[in-house]
Amino acid sequence: MVTFNDTIAELFGVDGFSPLVEFVVAIAGASVVVSVMLTIIGVSAVWLKRKWNARFGDRIAVNRVGPAGLMVMPADALKLFSKEVVVPEGVDRVPYLLAPMLAAASILAAFAFIPFGSGLQIADPETGLIFALAFASLSAIPIVMAGYSSKNKYSFLGFEREVAQAIAYEIPLVVSALAIVPLVAVFADTDAPLRMSNVVAAQQGPLFGIEGVPIPNWFIFAQPVAAVLLLVAIFAEFSRNPFDLPEAGSELVAGYLTEYGGVNFVLLFLAEFAAIYFGGALFTALFLGGGSGPLLPGFVWFLGKTFVFYLVVQWFRATVPRVRIDQLLDLGWKYLLELTFLNLLLTAGVLWVVL
Amino acid sequence: MSVVTRRHEEIHETIEDKLPEAILDFEEHQNAPAVVANPSRVDDVVRVLKQNGYNHLSSISAVEYDNRYESVYHLRRITDDREDFDEINVVAPADPDEPAVETVSDVFKGANWHEREAYDLMGIRYDNHPDLRRILLPETWKGHPLREEYDVDQPQYTTLEAHANPIEERYEVEEEGTLDTMFLNIGPHHPATHGVLHLKTVLDGEVVVDVDPDIGYLHRCEEYLCERLDYKYQIMPYPDRWDYVSAGMLNEMSYARCIEDLAEIEVPEYAQVIRTLAQELSRMAAHMLAVGTFALDLYGELNVIFMYAFKDREILQEILEDLSGQRLMFNYFRLGGVAYDLPEPRDEWFEKIRGFLDDLPEKLDEYRALIEGNELLRKRAEGTGILEPEVAKEYGCTGPVLRGSGIGYDVREVDPYSYYDELDWDVVTYDGCDNLSRVLVRIGEVEQSARIVEQCLDILEDWDGDREIQSRVPRSITPPAETENYTAVEGAKGELGIHIVSDGTEKPHRFKIRSPCFSNLAVFSELVEGEYLADMIATLGSLDLVFGEVDR
Repeated sequence: MVTFNDTIAELFGVDGFSPLVEFVVAIAGASVVVSVMLTIIGVSAVWLKRKWNARFGDRIAVNRVGPAGLMVMPADALKLFSKEVVVPEGVDRVPYLLAPMLAAASILAAFAFIPFGSGLQIADPETGLIFALAFASLSAIPIVMAGYSSKNKYSFLGFEREVAQAIAYEIPLVVSALAIVPLVAVFADTDAPLRMSNVVAAQQGPLFGIEGVPIPNWFIFAQPVAAVLLLVAIFAEFSRNPFDLPEAGSELVAGYLTEYGGVNFVLLFLAEFAAIYFGGALFTALFLGGGSGPLLPGFVWFLGKTFVFYLVVQWFRATVPRVRIDQLLDLGWKYLLELTFLNLLLTAGVLWVVL
Repeated sequence: MSVVTRRHEEIHETIEDKLPEAILDFEEHQNAPAVVANPSRVDDVVRVLKQNGYNHLSSISAVEYDNRYESVYHLRRITDDREDFDEINVVAPADPDEPAVETVSDVFKGANWHEREAYDLMGIRYDNHPDLRRILLPETWKGHPLREEYDVDQPQYTTLEAHANPIEERYEVEEEGTLDTMFLNIGPHHPATHGVLHLKTVLDGEVVVDVDPDIGYLHRCEEYLCERLDYKYQIMPYPDRWDYVSAGMLNEMSYARCIEDLAEIEVPEYAQVIRTLAQELSRMAAHMLAVGTFALDLYGELNVIFMYAFKDREILQEILEDLSGQRLMFNYFRLGGVAYDLPEPRDEWFEKIRGFLDDLPEKLDEYRALIEGNELLRKRAEGTGILEPEVAKEYGCTGPVLRGSGIGYDVREVDPYSYYDELDWDVVTYDGCDNLSRVLVRIGEVEQSARIVEQCLDILEDWDGDREIQSRVPRSITPPAETENYTAVEGAKGELGIHIVSDGTEKPHRFKIRSPCFSNLAVFSELVEGEYLADMIATLGSLDLVFGEVDR
């Protein structure tokens, strides 16, 4: 398995580094990944979202600042950064100010376990998948902090919804992801099937061919039910439409974001967009074969797939209405939970019979 | 003797039989006969009328005279048979020093808000009223602005402290541990209130336990303004400002109809057709907006339904701009006709409308597919915000809100005006009684409006007679003294009525606006108590309220 450090070492023409240098290179790699992700998320994603949504509604959207309006997000960010940090009276200051940082940090840390293709992966522990999911689940905690400390009833309702939603969809998220683990063990022939690089490695070969055209062994083909379940769970876990209840623009003003402005708002907003990207990256790694694809280098394929996921999320935004809280919880507890466990058992059962 | 006149005689006899001491006199108003009732027994009179089929209380209007106050009730009979429609008024004269009238809110629940408004603006006390607070003005207001004695120049300051703190009284937990509620102020500035509505909401978790709409943030005392302007030119710009989202033509018609009836002004046929055309274009634009904003309330994002609806409304807006020179505040109608003839070149304008009408069926199919075909949207809009037909009648709901509950009451049909009688169209009803039905009614009405517009276009294109856009109207219009008239038109939101009392001068003595949104909002708390917060917002959207009209 080629790691990030090996790639760098190869680039410099040396055989491995000393532990100290390895650490420095890892930090440098991490900052590169984070900066690239931030640039993509901060600039292109918001711009893309606006343009893409505008297409659905026959609008033009941003086209004034910079070429095709590309500079509108930097301009917006600059404006928001230059604003005074207003802390409303009576808020619980420590969690109020800590929440935005924690939100951004926790979701960016989750990217460490994502194999971006071309060996670009910051950390690849044996339990990578569990780590990634755990960091993703952490994103609910800053929202609770933000909502509870804001001393605003809309924020309060927003965080209540977030808690209910996070609890209801946490288990389906993990269990639907776990349904691929037996497959990893089989296809990659490994005893560390939770390692993210192994998950991607298991999806490299062809599954079968139709008239000479090979269908890749992506788990979306091998495990389509789990893919759909994970997709729904990701939408709910990261509060995207139609499950965007914690923010619920028309009901709760801006939910837990209501009392935030300036740089704190930027961080929370960024965390939210990073979460969509993380969802996309997770889905790509687990079900779309990671960076596998012909001709282009792996990380281009990976980013491309992530962007497709992102655009699908935005497509939902334009076309489906928000569900109600009881409908959301019904779906989570009554259907998704049972289906994910059933799928996991079925997968294990089939493999037990076959092997 | 017509059916209606015979019925009125019967009613007279019935009331005189049953309540001899409650009746003081019988009067004749321009629109219908009036029963003058003893103010302390007026509830009995209204109850007897309700039992005799007058099941719709349009409005309650308070009028001040030199020697008395009057509380005037406009009742209508709504049945499935259009021939059966008729009206009757009840007048309750009250003491000039201490005006007090018995409440009718136990007969018609919708009277509750109307009486509060009469109390607020004219200072008539309604005895036994369950909740006689001010409704449009702040609770600290001094005096009643529609009274003759009211000093307009006296400034009124309301400090923040003087306002009752809504949280203090409502946050009580009734019994420790049984009811754990949260008080939430929604609005006056909130993305879903479509203007300035303040909902004092009590939530139990996500469920709405109690909601009290607080209105009046956009109150401009339009009635007072109109009473100080002359009939002929000065009042006409104001109706545009009631329901200000492209329903201006319909509002102008409401005023034009009332005063033309009262002053007996003829309108040439050519102008009637143009008026009808303008009204229906206006209605289509208003309904487009209603459908779009309802979707906005459900999605909370700039979604496709909203954007498509706005795009289509824009075309109508341009057509209306060509006609009147204005996009929203049209000021296009004149007493006895309209201000201008159709824009030249006429063919080009006709072509523009025909182009829109040709595309419309396809667009409406798309709306229906987007709304009815969307499983999630159906899940949200079906079976929520249930308005039972009986409740709707009790509260005097009208327009698409009433027709969404399966009652086909449309003023254009039962009490025709303009050119509607000559044209071929249907009243759209759905009997789902829920949010979805109300929206589908609006889409259906756009379809019917398109039919009307098409027929008007045919007539106008083939018009070879005199293009007379205004009849000869005297320089100053002075309806006879001591006459009054209540007429209504079918506005975008429902029965938009005007009650004018003349004192023989060229300005109205009393100018009362019966706003459909006002009555539709009054029923709101009945619709949403026990529903989820999200459904409350959706219901608010489906009622299609415009606060320029609620608050006036």
